Amino acid sequence: MTDATLPIDDAAEPAASRKWLVYGGRVALALALLAGWEYGARALGPLFFAPPLATAERVWTLAVSGQMFADIAATLRVAVAGFAIAGVAGVLLPFLLRRSPRATEAVEPTVMFTMGIPKYALAPWLILWFGIGDMPKLVVVALVVFYIVFITTFAGIRGVDRRLISMARVLGARERTISREIIWTSLLPFFFTGLKIAFPRAVSATIVGEFLVSTQGVGRYIEGARQVSDTTGVFAGVLIALALVLIINALVNAIEAWALRWRPVEREMEL
Amino acid sequence: MTALLEIRKLGKRFPARHGREPSPWVIQDLSFSVAEGELLTIVGPSGAGKSTLLNIIAQTDTASAGEIIVDGVPVTTRDPRALKPGIDRRIGYVTQDDNLLPWRSTLDNVLFALEVQDRLDDTGRARAQALIEAVGLAGFERYYPHELSGGMRKRTALIRTLVYDPPVILMDEPFAAVDAQTRTQLQADLLRLWEMGRKTIVFVTHDITEAIALGDRALVLSKQPSRIAAEHIIPIPRPRNVKDIFALPGFAATYEKIRADVQ
Repeated sequence: MTDATLPIDDAAEPAASRKWLVYGGRVALALALLAGWEYGARALGPLFFAPPLATAERVWTLAVSGQMFADIAATLRVAVAGFAIAGVAGVLLPFLLRRSPRATEAVEPTVMFTMGIPKYALAPWLILWFGIGDMPKLVVVALVVFYIVFITTFAGIRGVDRRLISMARVLGARERTISREIIWTSLLPFFFTGLKIAFPRAVSATIVGEFLVSTQGVGRYIEGARQVSDTTGVFAGVLIALALVLIINALVNAIEAWALRWRPVEREMEL
Repeated sequence: MTALLEIRKLGKRFPARHGREPSPWVIQDLSFSVAEGELLTIVGPSGAGKSTLLNIIAQTDTASAGEIIVDGVPVTTRDPRALKPGIDRRIGYVTQDDNLLPWRSTLDNVLFALEVQDRLDDTGRARAQALIEAVGLAGFERYYPHELSGGMRKRTALIRTLVYDPPVILMDEPFAAVDAQTRTQLQADLLRLWEMGRKTIVFVTHDITEAIALGDRALVLSKQPSRIAAEHIIPIPRPRNVKDIFALPGFAATYEKIRADVQ
């Protein structure tokens, strides 16, 4: 064994055992949650608390019949479209404001003020305007997402190391290059944090929207089940929504890891 | 010798904050000139406005009085928005912090300069590679800044400026944050590179030994408001061996003279 390989071997051993400890902990926590769920169902009865097994069966039935995928597609269509529109706007606006402190001072208070509007409460009014199609839901989702992306992007821009910008200017970089290379890359960690907060909310907003107006979607299914006191159906719908958010979060995490691969890995930054 | 860079009666005070008196003059009545191919060092105590002076020359900050003339053309402005940092790539600036882009590897950090200037071609790549080898960074081209030592990062920052070959290079205590041995090595590297191309360099430091080891001429800055307090021609012939600079004839006497002028 050469000297160069020594520290790597040393580090590999505890890291691997620590990893299994983490996985073990996760499984134990999941089992405890399941046990609590089962206990709740037995103590309160299936009308108030659907048992895990029945819920799983229902999810399976929905999956086999294909209804689950149709509902997911309907929900995702609205959530992703609203998310995309608001995401682009929430990133572009801070970039446009970046070069002008005066415009920022003028626009920012208004943005922060309108953030206080309860978006879900707008839904009935939006239905009046846009009818009962996807549009009112889209607007609610976009409003929910926009503020999160706007605020995290702005925080990211403010956190950019001014010295890097100054360095690039001395080298003769154009403002467009500085925006793309230095500001955008510096704020990626903020941007991904924003995405991870905003996406579950986009899905939630879509589902709430579907309670009010929809012919399809996970929210439609939950609301339909509630109306006939089908608690198992409600639980199955919530479970599907949860899985949806989990899968998409995993996807965002993977993209983040790839986009930020230049950063020191977390193992090296242990607190 | 013609003056490539001339500073005339430069003054700087920072704008008053709301409700306060305007700040005192940081720099006042400061004049000097640098000839083409000269390595000028400027020594001054901490807080003498050394960085401010270089920021003004590099046009990342405005002057409050006086003029800066590059190649016979005045380039001074009082309007912060009219500043032209690096004045069309003619003034390179190696700052105290290396300011490497953490998401770019060593090679890509060096190429960044050429990239933003739309000058990234095979000649540029070859030049970058040659400089990387000249400062002993070969083999570290694909490393990210956080994987490099302090000295390696300084070298990367240095050749990022050398790679696009600006006629004037400003250096703001670039070797201050590394250990003494690495610093001597970096000084030797700088002198070797300089003797290859004979660029015009203004090198600011608080270290008298460094000012003597590197410079053709050393200027001494006074305390604030900062002016040129003294000028010393360095009598030590080149090429100099930086590691044995103390032993070279003329060093001790020059050191004593400069130290007497540094307050």
